[in-house]
Amino acid sequence: MSTLARRLIICCLGVLAGIAAWPVAEVILMYQRIFPSYLIFSIVLGAAFGFILGAFFGSFAGITSSVKPRIGSGAITGALVGLVGGAAGFFIGQGVLFLAGELLFSSYKSFNRIGLPVARAIGWGFLGIFVGMTEGIRAGSLKKIQVGILGGFIGGIPGGFALEYSRLLFPEIIYARLAGFIILGLLIGFFYSLVEKRLAYGVLRVLNGCFKGKEFLIAQKKLKIGKSAKNEISLADYADVADVHAVLLIKGHDLLLKPAGPKFPVLVNEDKITEHPLKYEDVIKIGSARLYYKLE
Amino acid sequence: MSLRKILPLLSGLILLTPLIPADNISISQIDSSSLLTSQAIKLYLSVTDSRGSPIEGLTAEMFRVFESADGLNFKEVPGIEGFKTGANIAAGINFLLLLDNSGSMYDTIGGKPTSVQKDMRITHARQATLSFVDSITNPRDSLGLASFNTNYSIHTPPGSKLAKTALLLDEIVKPTKEEAYTELYASLLLAAEQMSGIKGRRVIIVLSDGENFPYFLHTQREHKNFKERIFQHTEPIELCQKEGISVFAVNFGREKDRYLETIALETGGTVFDASNEEQLSEVYQRIRNRILTEHLLTYRATMDPADIQYVKVEYSRDNKKESVTRFYFSSTIFGLPLESLSFLLVIPFLIALVLWWLLTKLRLEKIARRPTLEVLHVEQGSPSTKLFNIRSKKTVISGSEEADLTIAGAPKMKENRATVIFDKKSKSYTVVGEREITVNNKSVKTRKLEPGDVINVGGTTIVFDDKPPR
Repeated sequence: MSTLARRLIICCLGVLAGIAAWPVAEVILMYQRIFPSYLIFSIVLGAAFGFILGAFFGSFAGITSSVKPRIGSGAITGALVGLVGGAAGFFIGQGVLFLAGELLFSSYKSFNRIGLPVARAIGWGFLGIFVGMTEGIRAGSLKKIQVGILGGFIGGIPGGFALEYSRLLFPEIIYARLAGFIILGLLIGFFYSLVEKRLAYGVLRVLNGCFKGKEFLIAQKKLKIGKSAKNEISLADYADVADVHAVLLIKGHDLLLKPAGPKFPVLVNEDKITEHPLKYEDVIKIGSARLYYKLE
Repeated sequence: MSLRKILPLLSGLILLTPLIPADNISISQIDSSSLLTSQAIKLYLSVTDSRGSPIEGLTAEMFRVFESADGLNFKEVPGIEGFKTGANIAAGINFLLLLDNSGSMYDTIGGKPTSVQKDMRITHARQATLSFVDSITNPRDSLGLASFNTNYSIHTPPGSKLAKTALLLDEIVKPTKEEAYTELYASLLLAAEQMSGIKGRRVIIVLSDGENFPYFLHTQREHKNFKERIFQHTEPIELCQKEGISVFAVNFGREKDRYLETIALETGGTVFDASNEEQLSEVYQRIRNRILTEHLLTYRATMDPADIQYVKVEYSRDNKKESVTRFYFSSTIFGLPLESLSFLLVIPFLIALVLWWLLTKLRLEKIARRPTLEVLHVEQGSPSTKLFNIRSKKTVISGSEEADLTIAGAPKMKENRATVIFDKKSKSYTVVGEREITVNNKSVKTRKLEPGDVINVGGTTIVFDDKPPR
């Protein structure tokens, strides 16, 4: 799978997550007045929203690596992380919205056209941060968390604006919030993939076999390569590949490749290595699999 | 006491009732900072008598609080959680001095035309303004300066540092005949609009010597900004009440606008008859004292969905009721709910799930079913095809059009070529370079190929692949 396909998939997941979250959010919003306080309301709504977005985004790694068990486990882990992240994000986003709405835009006159959209966009930006972090927390990767924070915030702000302005421009249309959710999901996905690429250390492209053409983005400090589905780079169905065969490590500015054990041979440009700083265009042989390290 | 005796007394009381001046209540600030964490709203209330003096001895029982999502239908909140008198607010006061600069301000205090600068009302007003600036002791206070006649002019925007205001008094110059009208209500409205963007205590002090005297009404010519609009005194009152801005009026002459007192009292301010600098310098202290005697009322907010929640405080004393309405920001991140729910909402949820399931079934990888050469990267030029299926015994890669896989426009490819040869006996492929080529970054002349081998010929990177290894 190319980087473009990968980007399209995460954007699709974002859109689907937005669509799925919309009806759930509408039901909770409808019953706002039965909640005892804004605190409980924010936590419940944020948790439900984060749960759905987290489940969709959590399945991303499994889908792109074509490892089915990882789709389910990723979705569950993502949903649970999203549940907590969504609650925290909504709480903080709501706090920011109240603060921005009350402090910065106390003027009644400009409130609807400027104050409310800006305040809401800021709130959504914070919500986006926590939703975007889901994949990073699921993967236990600080780098991915950083990517999620940036991608989520950048994606959340236009989502908030879209919601507010579509509501202002088309007050009769009930789908304004759905549009906002879709844009939020799409932009979180898009900016996540964009930021991920910018912060990535390159791409490993599989050159042969059943995963031929698949590209693995190197966007976290440690990646395991092997047959097991738990690995970030899973080479199931390749001959002579151990469960965990090799490890990729980011050390300073170097990307180091080393075998996971003495019995697992790893060749770079035909030479057997013990630890090797990768350069672009290096050809890696792990079992019967060939991988090509490139910038993009 | 007989009914015959009581009736005249009662009717007398009824007749007298409208004559008893009403108290004034205003909300000077709404603090909703605890809304998210504890659902509490704090209201800073100012209750004054008809002369603008704070009323003492108030209790929580005298107040009722209502909330409304639309500003029309109010419902009473369950209860008041706290009531404190003398709430000491550390925040400063944002003043906007609105100075009358109409033609009459260039007469004497007694209303006679004069050409002597020091006798003019405007000179006294300027000096009084400087005295006012000097009397401000709180460094957190801010001061803006505006003037009005036919037009409203802002000299120092509200929220500015104090020193700047004093200097900009020189900007106020004698108006022409066309500019000499008194657009008092319009100017108060514009001043309130300007103050509405500022946070905290907001006070407009208007120094005027006469009545509202609109340009259009008295000339029947269109005003350059207001056109034919005649402003009513209720307009600045409404905005000030909505925004919690108090208007304090200072009369600087013998004539007085008939609604100026109403404007001041209904916005929680008062009217001063000041004709000299000393009297005006007392104004600051009186406003400050007013704020120090404010009441803090805390209640638990309702959860009715609204972008802005209207809050009405009803105050009753001696069978008289007064109320004031303001609003606070109560919007949630996702905004207001739909008018009604429909089971059709389930459809997008299901669609999203189905599409997600289909996405998980997607396989974008291409497994090689036959030997191929895939162009991965071209340093210069363009290949005739990105993926070439090897069908013949010999496959030539070069810059020539006669080659099987042509890399056109690549000068290095013209000097170099590689041939992939199939050996029927061993059922294997070998690459042979005319000059030096690399396979897996190793320089070679000839090399037996394995699936996934990377060949570089003249800057073009090509991947050889065959059936997947097992």
